[in-house]
Amino acid sequence: MKRILLTPDTEKEIDIDPSSAERHALETGTTLVLDKSGRVHKITHGGGRLLVNGKEVQLSLADPRNRRRNANAGNDSGRRDVKAAMPGKVIKVLVEPGQTVEAAAGLLILEAMKMQNEVRSPGPGTVAAVRVAVGDTVASGQVLVTLE
Amino acid sequence: MVQKILVANRGEIAVRVLRGIREAGFTAVAVFTPIDRGALHLSHADEAYPVDSYLNPDAILAAARRAGATALHPGYGFLSENADFAQLCADAGVLFIGPPASAIRSLGSKTAARDVAIAAGAPVVPGTDGPVTDIAEARRVASQIGYPVLIKAAAGGGGKGMRLVEKESELESALRDASSEAERSFRSGEVYIEKALIHPRHIEIQIFGDNHGHLIHLGERECSIQRRHQKVVEECPSPLVARNLPMRHAMGEAALKVARAAGYTNAGTAEFLVDADSNFYFLEMNTRLQVEHPVTELVTSVDLVHMQIEAAFGAELQRKQEDITWRGSAIQCRLYAEDPANQFFPSPGRIDRLRMPSGPGIRLDNGVYEGWTVPMDYDPLLAKLCVWAEDRPRAIARMARALGETEILGIANNVAFFRQLLQDPGFQSGQLHTGFLKTFAYTPDATLTESELEAAIAILASAEAPPATAAPTAIRSNWSRR
Repeated sequence: MKRILLTPDTEKEIDIDPSSAERHALETGTTLVLDKSGRVHKITHGGGRLLVNGKEVQLSLADPRNRRRNANAGNDSGRRDVKAAMPGKVIKVLVEPGQTVEAAAGLLILEAMKMQNEVRSPGPGTVAAVRVAVGDTVASGQVLVTLE
Repeated sequence: MVQKILVANRGEIAVRVLRGIREAGFTAVAVFTPIDRGALHLSHADEAYPVDSYLNPDAILAAARRAGATALHPGYGFLSENADFAQLCADAGVLFIGPPASAIRSLGSKTAARDVAIAAGAPVVPGTDGPVTDIAEARRVASQIGYPVLIKAAAGGGGKGMRLVEKESELESALRDASSEAERSFRSGEVYIEKALIHPRHIEIQIFGDNHGHLIHLGERECSIQRRHQKVVEECPSPLVARNLPMRHAMGEAALKVARAAGYTNAGTAEFLVDADSNFYFLEMNTRLQVEHPVTELVTSVDLVHMQIEAAFGAELQRKQEDITWRGSAIQCRLYAEDPANQFFPSPGRIDRLRMPSGPGIRLDNGVYEGWTVPMDYDPLLAKLCVWAEDRPRAIARMARALGETEILGIANNVAFFRQLLQDPGFQSGQLHTGFLKTFAYTPDATLTESELEAAIAILASAEAPPATAAPTAIRSNWSRR
């Protein structure tokens, strides 16, 4: 079957023969795959992530029939959301709407586990909106700032 | 009636101490904050009481009273080195399992501990006792302690007013610069001179005393692998001391001198810096059980928590100094919820998968479980993975094997970082110093071999929902969500 293999920065069309690999389910979330040369690969998945022989990777499959829609989804505006890479508490907001920022400029400061971390701009742009305020607790993946 | 001991802590150390309490035949009592309602340590307790904070002495003592606890173990961090809390416990008739409040107080700050050490005749980093203003005196002092020297602001911190001086010709201008920078930063131009230790090792000595005047040491731990003054890997023996065993005795004696002078009892750790010529200098005393105590336990075959409980209840030390022997080699890796690919940022969150190693020579002091959400409110230590083997190369190989079995998904963690560190020739050779991690470059490796990629695709394909029912645009975001 035809599928698109997605990684965070690439996508590639592949053809999969689902019956090709010998699989042994282990405990929940872990499967062993024996390849043709007899090598054992241990694959654990959970929370949308994969560990392949201990290496954490971000891989997913998409159906080629949805490809066009996927491409369109990314193209609908020039806006970019800056998301929290980890949960934390907003200690300080360093920018305001309308402000122009350089790449890697500090946007705000998050605190977690007794450490403060600066969230930086992924590229140059203008701050369209600041979605959080000082004192807010944010979840991983929550939008903090929108750039345009 | 069986007596109760309360553990005023959380995480892996609460689990470790609660286990020791049960083994010693006592009833194990835990406390927990609202955030820690589902925390692992509760499952190792016979009774558990809510508190608003692990830092609130009144709440902890109220829980001890409610439980009818005879004694309290503070663990490390939180209230463990708080002399006032130790005193409050004593006043409330609750045995504080640790040194007396007076010893905590007299060793409480680095400067106080330094004064005790000097008076006791233990070596400290050579330097001036008071400020130096005059260049003639500075020259005399610097040549006496030997270059390189550090000029430090007496009122200072954070590197302000600090100058490294390699040779005498640089001394006068460095003194002037440091003094004026100190004046600007702290409104005091006073500076002092200290021997500069370049790439020192951090080696510490475990000590232990009972209430009957017996004090022994249990050898050293090498803790040079640190980041931002946070220890990351610890081992016993130190690779340096293992090649120079008289150092163990000399450092042990120095640690005991400080302990005796402070009237120390129970478990404690004297920290030393060691220079390139194997000279050691007392730094400070940690008046509690250390995070890294398991490596000492593995190599000396003692149980420090049992010893702590026995000594606190007045028992005499069963082991004399000559009974302490060191066998094999132990290493501990601190598994942290932090992202080595992103400046070691902390990474709280849900643990989606957790596979921990087992088998020969493994000791796991763990504080988490699969499905639990690691809170953002406490420190990022998840578990301590320790191994023991006959010698250091075998211990490194065993740790590499154990790390290979370890799988954590859902939160960023430093397992892959340790796998790489153990391969480093510098680490393997034992040439360690406190700046080691600044020179060690971790490179995230998420590249798969062709057959690994095929295997991964096979798993994804079999886990895939039928294309007709899959939400088309959601697929990608599902896989990139953390």
